[in-house]
Amino acid sequence: MASRKPVFNQQVLYDTTPLPDSIPKVKELGTTSAPLMSAAYFIGARCKDYNDDFMQCKTQNPGKGEFECLKEGRRVTRCARSVINDINTHCLDQFRAHWECLDNNNHQLWQCRQKEWSLNKCVFEKLGLEKTVPGQPKDEVPVQFRRNQTFAHAGIPITQFPYLTPNQRAEQVENLRLRNPKKADRIDQWDEERRQKKAAEAAVEAKA
Amino acid sequence: MPVPFETLIPYGIIIAMFGVSGAGMSKIRNWQNGGKRQRRGIDQWDRVLMDRDRRLTGDLRGQANNPVAPAGYELNNPWRLEKRIS
Repeated sequence: MASRKPVFNQQVLYDTTPLPDSIPKVKELGTTSAPLMSAAYFIGARCKDYNDDFMQCKTQNPGKGEFECLKEGRRVTRCARSVINDINTHCLDQFRAHWECLDNNNHQLWQCRQKEWSLNKCVFEKLGLEKTVPGQPKDEVPVQFRRNQTFAHAGIPITQFPYLTPNQRAEQVENLRLRNPKKADRIDQWDEERRQKKAAEAAVEAKA
Repeated sequence: MPVPFETLIPYGIIIAMFGVSGAGMSKIRNWQNGGKRQRRGIDQWDRVLMDRDRRLTGDLRGQANNPVAPAGYELNNPWRLEKRIS
């Protein structure tokens, strides 16, 4: 973001004139920076179209974006508000744990991976929203699933594994196959074994 | 002949001085930031967001996850004015 123009302000003016009635009233989002950072990828998953609309409107109206793009902006606010509402109703504990961890760690996502994985699990199961980080190279483990974050304050225990939605798991297995073409059948066999083991455990749990 | 303990007293004093001032600074920073670690490497984006947090909660490091902003939020972003030069 460009730095602001230097301004020597000696006083401030609070303009309390409300907007004209012709503009529909939409209440602004009350989420501060840490919860917003935490929920950002889920807002992106649900509101991608509205956000892209708004960004396109702003790009096409340089200088007048604040006036011309009010409608798109209202849509963005409403969509983000719906995501925050849903996360609050279904996943409040994990959400709060994650953003409190972020706030304590300079808002760096890579310091709070464990809590992020449990939040991802809850949000996917209850709301069906996935977090996707675009631009991850296929020849490495994506950053959000790495269990070894070099500079993090706290390491991740051996027993904790990242949560992968079924789509993400399929994608990672495909990447493994691309990285090791010679071991492709071994990877298939391992994936099949894992799936069967999970199914057996689920059957045992269902019986018990 | 083993080292007499009196010779290690100055080292102990030095370590204690560094330790006390370091711990004291850390505690002061913790108290200033509302029980959290200080934010470092803040750029203009982070400053703008922290100002928004202050407008929403009253505290620069305050956080809230309400979907709707409190009542006065839409009107409490001030215009910053300069005095006229000419």
